[in-house]
Amino acid sequence: MNLSTRSPGSAGSGISPIWVVAAGLAIIFGGLLIGSFAPAILPPQASAESRQIDALFRFMLAIGGSIFLLVQGMLVYSVIRFRAKPGDASDGAPIHGNTTLEFVWTIIPAIIVTVLALYSVSVWNSTHSIKPNEQTVGAVGARYAWTFNYQLDARALPSGVTLDQLEPNIRAAVENGGLTLSSTQLHTWVNQPVAVSMNTQDVNHAFWIPGMRVKQDLLAGRTTEIRFTPIEAGVYRIVCAELCGSGHGNMAGSVDVNGNLVGAWLIVHESEDAFRSEFFDPLARAALFPPEDPVERGRQILASGVYPCASCHVVDDLGWNGAVGPNLNNVGSRAATRVAGESAEEYLRISIRMPGAYLVPGYNNLMPQFNAEPGQPNYMPDDDLDAIIAYLLTLKTS
Amino acid sequence: MNAEHSLSRDERIALQNRKTGITVFQISWIMVFVCLCIVNLQIRSNFPSWPPAGVAALDRILPTIATLALIASGVTTQRGVKGDLVTQWRIALGLGIVFTLIMFAQWVTVDTGGLGAQYGTIFRVMVAYHAVHAVVIGWIMWGVVKKAARGDYADGNPLKTWIIEGAARLWYFVIAAWVLFYIVLYIV
Amino acid sequence: MATISVPLIGGRAVEGKRFGISDILRWTVDHKVIGIQYMLTASFFFIVGGALAMLIRWELLTPTLDIMADGQQYNQLFSIHGTVMIFLWIVPMMAGFGNYLLPLMLGAKDMAFPWLNAFAFWLIPPAGILMLMGWFVGQAEAGWTSYPPLSTLYSLDGQTLWAMSLHLLGLSSILGAVNFIVTIKNMRPVGMGYFQMPLFVWAILATSIIILMATPFLAGALTLLILDRVVGTQFFNPAQGGDVLLWQNVFWFYSHPAVYIMVLPAFGILSEVLSVHARKPIFGYRAIALSSLAIALVGFTVWAHHMFTSLTPELRIPFMITSMIIAVPTGIKVFSWLGTLFMGKIRFTSAMLFGLGFLSMFVIGGISGVMLASVPYNIHVHDTYFVVSHLHFVLYGGSVFGIYAGLYHWFPKISGRMLDERLGRLHFIVTYISFFFTFFPQHILGMSGMPRRVAVYAPEYQSLNVVVSIASFILGISTFILIWNVIVSLRAGKRASANPWRALTLEWATSSPPPVTNFIGDPVPYRNPYGYGSESANAYLNALESAYGPSEHPSPDAPKAIKPAPAAGD
Repeated sequence: MNLSTRSPGSAGSGISPIWVVAAGLAIIFGGLLIGSFAPAILPPQASAESRQIDALFRFMLAIGGSIFLLVQGMLVYSVIRFRAKPGDASDGAPIHGNTTLEFVWTIIPAIIVTVLALYSVSVWNSTHSIKPNEQTVGAVGARYAWTFNYQLDARALPSGVTLDQLEPNIRAAVENGGLTLSSTQLHTWVNQPVAVSMNTQDVNHAFWIPGMRVKQDLLAGRTTEIRFTPIEAGVYRIVCAELCGSGHGNMAGSVDVNGNLVGAWLIVHESEDAFRSEFFDPLARAALFPPEDPVERGRQILASGVYPCASCHVVDDLGWNGAVGPNLNNVGSRAATRVAGESAEEYLRISIRMPGAYLVPGYNNLMPQFNAEPGQPNYMPDDDLDAIIAYLLTLKTS
Repeated sequence: MNAEHSLSRDERIALQNRKTGITVFQISWIMVFVCLCIVNLQIRSNFPSWPPAGVAALDRILPTIATLALIASGVTTQRGVKGDLVTQWRIALGLGIVFTLIMFAQWVTVDTGGLGAQYGTIFRVMVAYHAVHAVVIGWIMWGVVKKAARGDYADGNPLKTWIIEGAARLWYFVIAAWVLFYIVLYIV
Repeated sequence: MATISVPLIGGRAVEGKRFGISDILRWTVDHKVIGIQYMLTASFFFIVGGALAMLIRWELLTPTLDIMADGQQYNQLFSIHGTVMIFLWIVPMMAGFGNYLLPLMLGAKDMAFPWLNAFAFWLIPPAGILMLMGWFVGQAEAGWTSYPPLSTLYSLDGQTLWAMSLHLLGLSSILGAVNFIVTIKNMRPVGMGYFQMPLFVWAILATSIIILMATPFLAGALTLLILDRVVGTQFFNPAQGGDVLLWQNVFWFYSHPAVYIMVLPAFGILSEVLSVHARKPIFGYRAIALSSLAIALVGFTVWAHHMFTSLTPELRIPFMITSMIIAVPTGIKVFSWLGTLFMGKIRFTSAMLFGLGFLSMFVIGGISGVMLASVPYNIHVHDTYFVVSHLHFVLYGGSVFGIYAGLYHWFPKISGRMLDERLGRLHFIVTYISFFFTFFPQHILGMSGMPRRVAVYAPEYQSLNVVVSIASFILGISTFILIWNVIVSLRAGKRASANPWRALTLEWATSSPPPVTNFIGDPVPYRNPYGYGSESANAYLNALESAYGPSEHPSPDAPKAIKPAPAAGD
């Protein structure tokens, strides 16, 4: 029963320094190898910020990978090397600690986190700082859709359009800077720093573009900002990342069966010219020169995607086939009979201004409310509403 | 002290446990009051001025008198623990009632509508939360006074007389918590 | 070393009253019964929360809504899953271990306040019922974090019940913590200073300090929430000058430390299990004990890292720094545990397997935790499946694996029966592998763009979600191996001796299960709870064996060598 016959060092001292060095190198290179997987996991880099953040992540993944290999390696080594052999009933070595070792494994992690903190601070300072010549866009989150507002002032008129050509009331709006163009999509162009100023109509949301690596909560009662600079043309999904209610998951950009982009997407054009000719100018022209015929104008508004109706409703005339909300084909005849004493036109008006007022049986109250006042989220001017209703009343059964 | 020596080991530990227990519980429970102070400070940080423009500030004179009464009740409570419990604690309870009535009057009259919504409601929550403690603990003290008047503590059994110290410490807690609130509500 | 002094061991008390099944359903003030009541109640809610998790994973098999009528139903599921698992499973389960073991480890007859102890427990069943009743009035749907205004202006009445339920659970938790601290301070046996306490007791001490200082903030936040919902105050309504960040600040001031409330006791369990089953003193006792306190203290300064996407940008960096500092004491613990294994004589009991599993999985949660502390990276993965993965590695790979290790370790003491080791090993292997495949792929999902708390997601994430769901179903089933093991072992398991694992802490120095008074007389603990490998420890353990019957771990000495223990040195 003499325990001292078993020298405390006998189990561990058999490790030669060469093996320790080899294991150390294996751990470091293993960590670097793990770190090299970072680009495969993250979405493709599409913003200036994503390059810096991904480099930071890769660095952290390499260090984390090394620590992971060190701990698991030690664990597996101990489990194999120091398992009790059958019949061996003795106790382990009575070692209670080692001050030097404990000091080392306090200091090294402290150094590592210091380095990580300094690196993170430098990345953070450069990614969230204000950039020169930012494109400023207003964003409004509402359950469960996004609206992006672009200022249309005298300097941003489409080419070939002068103030003199405009109707007096529209001209006054442009000159006062009071005309905004709305879209469910966020458009910008390559290498253009964007600053999005965000408000919410109801609960908190979070604006996230995974491809840009940026995210910011929208806080009820506050205005928050987010900045990024896209570096690759393309389309990028915008996601709501803060629980906002039953339709939270639907608040991300999606693709319908025909391959059309529906709802919240960031579209990065090749150049400013492309941005203007493909997105901004047609939208601006439609706002500056509204068609006379309300039915034609209503069709134009809905087809433009300014309002996110296509993600939920079916309209064969426009190729919509959303599944969340009621089918709108032949809606006019049904709307006329839904509520006693209310015309189809009145019924549709209330259904858009206050979607919760009348629910079609079998459908939930998921539709955002479209408001009449400029500055409110999901702003839908009365002109637009009249035109949309006029168009909807013409829809026939397919 | 002699009385404590007559206790068994288990009884001594039980007595010690109660004393430690009250201290530990007080350390924990004061955090709710600290929390409400922080809530008050964060709410006011959203307003350019406090009280918000157009809202009348709370009167400070009566609450200051109430606070002094409450502090004085602490002094008499402590005197009661050392000497004439029945008389001193009756005075303390009387002062406590004066405090509670003054604060109740202000609680009722504070403006909680319109512009004063935040200013008034956070005041009401804090004062009401404190008042619940003052009333419950005052009630415990009153029970002690009744028993003391009957002579229940005459034998000096520490397991019985402990409640005197316990009730006193709870009352000190009420005072300390109020001083915290007084500073946040009326001074800062 | 001619004479070996063996401390006085609690007298043999096999006779005397024992508790039966019926006591578990009644009000009783015995800490052992209360401990079992805690554990059984918590386990019931573990199954409830697990069933909710299975429904969540079923729904997520496809990118569209399948079994849920709408997103609201899904939101209710994960809200209650999270709340139940945290407040009705892990926290009360740890309180159960603490209640059962603390007086035994301290050689005491009971907790400092037995009546209060029972009261604290009996707050839990009504609170649990209150929470589940939410489904009759429109269950809470704002997540376990319940951010206003979603939880105030846009939620149904279940949200009020949810808040009231948490109020009760918070009170229970505070009363329990007061009891633990007073017991530890006043009721240690003669000869046991703070630095001779078992590390589990240290962990409970650190946990109780956190509960004491942090839970009142939960009470404050919930009070305001209930007032907003019921009385009509406007603290969280921006339209009336209220502030939605107010809730986030106060809630996280409690809820980040709450993570340590859940994981520190598991650290304590791990320290006991590793040392006993590796037959080796714990490496760096003081470092482990004090790092628990360090984690508890620094843990109060990091709450806003949960708000990196909502907090004012200027304040994000300070909270990043404090959050990263936490990694240092945690690292000390991990390396100390590895040092404990090194040069040990490791016995692969089920308890040890779960202990090793804890160590290897918790490390992943720790590494992803440091990554999450880094603001720029956090911004990308905030509120995504990366966070879901991280928190489950900490709370399942850490806390739940710790609970499992503790169950296999102390079940013989609690029940007087050994658990079946073969079923235990099967349970470990199935749990370990399915756990990894349930939660590891979620890192990748989050980084590549899948937010958390969604019932519908982009189709490109489906394949990984199917892997996760299938693994989670296996993980769910693996729990029943343990339940089956418990049932079978309770009926026909091998009888446990007083000290089956040859452990030095005091709870093993009385019969299994312990008598009503725990010990006869006042026991004197062995001077070092982790003194394995020394002659005197061996003599002490042999003396225990000769008094109570043989252990599962064999004695290093030939059976003939066991002599009756000499009386205590004085």
